[in-house]
Amino acid sequence: MTRPEPPATGTDLLVLHALRCGGHAGPARVAAATGLGESDAESELIDLAVAGLVTHSGGGFGGWGLTDAGRAAAAERITGELESAGARVALRAAFDGFLVLNPELLDLCAAWQLRSVDGVMTANDHGDPSYDARVLARFAEFDQRAAVVCAELSAALPRFGRYRARLAEARQRAASGALEYVTDSTASYHTVWAELHEDLLATLGIPR
Amino acid sequence: MRWIRPLSAQVDEAAELLGGKAHGLVVLHRLGLRVPAGFVVTTEACRAFLRDGRLPDGLGDELATAVTDLEASTGRRFGGSRAPLAVSVRSGAGVSMPGMMNTILNLGLTTAATAGLAAETGDPRFALDSRLRLLSGFAAAITNLDADGVGAVLGGAPGRGTGDEEADLTGAIGAVEDLIRRRRGRPIPDDAARQLELAVRTVLSSWDTPRARTYRDLHDVPHDLGTAAIVQTMVFGNRDDRSGTGVAFSRDPNTGGNVPFGEVMFGRQGEDVVSGRALTRPLRELADREPAVWTGLLDALSRIEGHYRDACYVEFTFQSGELWILQVRPGRFVGGAAVRVAADLADERVIGRREALLRVSAGHLRHVRTPRMATTERTDILARGLGACPGVAAGRVATTADGAVRMAADGPVILVRPETSPHDLRGLAAAAGIVTARGGPASHAAVVARSMAKPAVVGVTGLTVDVAGGSVGAGGRTIGEGTLVTIDGTSGEVALGSPRTVTTTAAAHLHRLLGWADDVSGDHSERDEVQRLSAAHAVLRHG
Repeated sequence: MTRPEPPATGTDLLVLHALRCGGHAGPARVAAATGLGESDAESELIDLAVAGLVTHSGGGFGGWGLTDAGRAAAAERITGELESAGARVALRAAFDGFLVLNPELLDLCAAWQLRSVDGVMTANDHGDPSYDARVLARFAEFDQRAAVVCAELSAALPRFGRYRARLAEARQRAASGALEYVTDSTASYHTVWAELHEDLLATLGIPR
Repeated sequence: MRWIRPLSAQVDEAAELLGGKAHGLVVLHRLGLRVPAGFVVTTEACRAFLRDGRLPDGLGDELATAVTDLEASTGRRFGGSRAPLAVSVRSGAGVSMPGMMNTILNLGLTTAATAGLAAETGDPRFALDSRLRLLSGFAAAITNLDADGVGAVLGGAPGRGTGDEEADLTGAIGAVEDLIRRRRGRPIPDDAARQLELAVRTVLSSWDTPRARTYRDLHDVPHDLGTAAIVQTMVFGNRDDRSGTGVAFSRDPNTGGNVPFGEVMFGRQGEDVVSGRALTRPLRELADREPAVWTGLLDALSRIEGHYRDACYVEFTFQSGELWILQVRPGRFVGGAAVRVAADLADERVIGRREALLRVSAGHLRHVRTPRMATTERTDILARGLGACPGVAAGRVATTADGAVRMAADGPVILVRPETSPHDLRGLAAAAGIVTARGGPASHAAVVARSMAKPAVVGVTGLTVDVAGGSVGAGGRTIGEGTLVTIDGTSGEVALGSPRTVTTTAAAHLHRLLGWADDVSGDHSERDEVQRLSAAHAVLRHG
């Protein structure tokens, strides 16, 4: 028996939920998280602000964030989408697969940042290309298994497909020498993975 | 026996065969220290298991014989409904791979044995709690999850928080049993001998989990060594109020100072200390509450130091006032602490000056200059966790990312959170330092802190964050948002106020040690510290 594919998530909900999962962000990060163009993302943010669901704060660490009403609306609509797609069981099963991978990913990130030199844990200064290459090779192997889980997630709800694209992009950039795409940038593998984790908890309604 | 060795002073085999943990237990036996009776399934058995995909022929019979011996020496029955014997099954490879492999505790607590333990102790809560820990250990291994993962999979399991502790435990046991049945297709056998075989298989298999393989790849550990499995009589730190568990260093690992250092918990089982699930007390409290245990521990630390001729680390449990040592290893101090211990041991004539020089690496010297909090008796330590990113930061406490961003406009902020998620990113960016209640050195908070090079302390047991009330609780005290604190991302200490920061705690020792280095190399010219040490190493290793 095949179930019809759930409909694509509306762009307003995509933007709202991106702020729910990624925290405060500017239009560029919202665009990256949702796959929308930056101006479309910004236009969506402005509409949501008019509706009282998001607000913009200034200053060095400012950006767009959810209002209390926006947080409530995001939770209600994301749950509604899950239930009307009948995707809870499939998503829950895929989440179990995610939980197996999560400590591995965190291990890899720690190994990227720290290494044992003369028995002393030391910040990895990335001066030893052979060590970095070994960690990145493990990332590549990990990423193949992550792809399996991501495929299960997007089969359950198509919007999860965006994570696969973002993770693959982070890994490829890191592999081609942009080392900040492992743990450091806001589009790094670790950052995207953490947003995916938050998304799964939010969508399934699991408290931290 | 072919695949099994008893844990005793007479065993004379290498750590490659017994694993490092069991080898340490043999050392403890030789030193005349009290170690729970037990035996070890060798790494050779593990290699055969990994090669053939099944336990080697004869191991089953050897396990049965070894258990019979344990029953005889303890006067208890494995899986018995009266005076039941429970054991721990722990991994222990020839090379240390901390936290990468499985451990199963309280093994043999079948339903009947659990009832037996409850009747014997008159404490059903203790017996059920022990059985829950057994099942959770299996669940973690079967699902390939860590303890947090098992918790997340169980989610809002039924039977929690009813106010009736026994009913809660029974509910939790049911939920874990369901999870195991779902994932494994069948329950854990309710038969002690079959549980033991399953546990040994589980521990040996855990050599090959993806995490363990990654660890070996990154640390140059060959994949074909295998792990041993250590089976020991359980001693229960949660037995009564004269029981407990702890970890101890013979010297202070933060400074290298010659005073025992560690943590103790009363009325708890061992994994609670290591996992950081419950509140610990400073080791010194043992002296008042259990003077005989304290004296015994000091004696053990001194004997073990004598053996290793180095600072050492032990894990211990005391049951009804009786001390047992469960694990031992050299201290492996780093940075200034390594320098100080090497120099002190040479001054104490425990080791020669040349050996002292060889024990300090260039890597240690680089860490000697990491800024540290200078703690004195007047330093008011609010809480301790794990240092996740070195350095010292002082600032006012914020309990939310928004608060951190707002307060950072007026001066440095320390962001204190239960754990962090992507929501906290801008707060992490705004803060000078980070403290979290949960998580280890590879947690989200730790990874992000290092990516931003900010001092961080994670896994602060017992730390509570009240966002609504804008306060933080630890060790029975509550401090409000805005309170000035200082954190040390090396030692994991969180202090009230702003204690002095120093760039080395071992200046005098370093000066002395480098003087010896110049004597060895014969070069007294002006050079940097690493060059002076390396010149001495070159002479000692090749000269």
